[in-house]
Amino acid sequence: MWFKSRNIITVIILGVLIYFSMELTEFNLSKFRDFRNMVDFLGEWFPMDYAKLPHMLEDSLETLGMAFLGSLFGLIVALPLSFVAARNTSPSGFFYHLSRVLLSFVRSIPEIVFGLILLTALGLGPFPAVLAIMFHNIGVLGKLISELIEASDSGPQEAMKAVGAKKGFAYLFSILPQIWPNVLSHYFYRFEVAIRTSLILGFIGGGGIGQRLFNDFKTFQYSSVSLDVLIIMVIVIIVDLFGSFVRNKVI
Amino acid sequence: MLEIKDLSVQYEDSDFEALSSIDLHFQKGEFVCILGKSGAGKSTLIRCINGLQDPTSGTVYWKDQPLSSLSEEDLRKIRREMGMIFQHFNLIPRLTVLQNVLTGLFGYRSTYKNIIGLFNKEEINHAKKVIADVGLTDQMYRKVEKLSGGQKQRVGIARALLQHPKAFLGDEPVSSLDPGTASHIFRLIQKMHNRHQLLTIINVHDVNLAKRFATRIIALKNGKVIFDDHPDSFQDEEFHLTYYETAKQP
Repeated sequence: MWFKSRNIITVIILGVLIYFSMELTEFNLSKFRDFRNMVDFLGEWFPMDYAKLPHMLEDSLETLGMAFLGSLFGLIVALPLSFVAARNTSPSGFFYHLSRVLLSFVRSIPEIVFGLILLTALGLGPFPAVLAIMFHNIGVLGKLISELIEASDSGPQEAMKAVGAKKGFAYLFSILPQIWPNVLSHYFYRFEVAIRTSLILGFIGGGGIGQRLFNDFKTFQYSSVSLDVLIIMVIVIIVDLFGSFVRNKVI
Repeated sequence: MLEIKDLSVQYEDSDFEALSSIDLHFQKGEFVCILGKSGAGKSTLIRCINGLQDPTSGTVYWKDQPLSSLSEEDLRKIRREMGMIFQHFNLIPRLTVLQNVLTGLFGYRSTYKNIIGLFNKEEINHAKKVIADVGLTDQMYRKVEKLSGGQKQRVGIARALLQHPKAFLGDEPVSSLDPGTASHIFRLIQKMHNRHQLLTIINVHDVNLAKRFATRIIALKNGKVIFDDHPDSFQDEEFHLTYYETAKQP
């Protein structure tokens, strides 16, 4: 029963797609004959150079600040917007579609593009990076939260209508407590993603540990690069642990 | 007090009418149980009474005011006079018993006050008194999802009582509870009904409960009233007519 013609066709199509994608991306494992180069290169990363550690930690704080502000401002704007962009709470069909289009528009623009555009007006530094992260997260969190609203239980909403509460208020009060833990977990995931994004934004002059990593790399200071990478890994893990701690507290 | 005139409801996705030309009149102090098979229109009727469902034609009059011609604002004022309890309780998860009961006041307060979430001492004491009335004082600060089904429905009743209701509506409030708990809940509803001199209208599947507590039974079948009388008159024959397609075989 596994060998239905439809399944066979699916496998053939997948095979064709894999072949062409490998052609396009020059995917070729035999290239690993130069594997030694990588080992030699990574060898230069060690021992780590701790001389610039205080500056690195300072830059790490800047990165954390960027990611935190960008994602939190994103959440603050996205939360009310997502009630407009959810089918069951939207004030009208017009606003529903308008907000949906708006959200997918800001979502479709990568942070780095926002960053490059904002740089022209705001100059180098973390401020344009914060705004770039914020804009993108409005789109992402707005979509995710509006889906949570649509999936929420309609029972409490009906009860709030039955006690004579105002419509908008009934929505807010009956839905928010239901979705809150999931909103938090989405938020912390986006916070974590924002840290990685802020690294990339550092490459284009957005500041933080990302810019330091880029500069160390370009100036061949590999023993500093290794410490930068280690610090970044530790930050991401700490934020992840903190996120699950807060979520467990709420549930 | 409550009058239903020529009420019909037809759902968009359905070929037949959920309610067809219902005429009913209710007095203060009546304890009415509505019987009928699933899909007979019980739930639709209850939901028309407080305007959660709009009728296709006909009108519901509450104290001589026709619901269908009221503004949203005036409809809210009527809804808060009718406490409603639900089969699945419809409590707000993650909030405590006390917080859930206090939401019963939302019809009386400004949005601004509600968002701040401030309640004055008088309101909180009233909520605590009502919680004591339904026997949940020791659960007051627990989150509602930790409670048993019977306890959840007590919270539902307390929330409805906080509305200072003139009427009590129940949409199968005991259908997801075991028979013992269901009987307790009915006794509690009856106690509050008598204390506050309410009009109580409840959908129920358990005929015995209806005969024990109701002062009047209404049976619905295919959206029409087929019985409306004192519970003593609801006998085997009426039971069969309500729940089976054909009359009882001799």
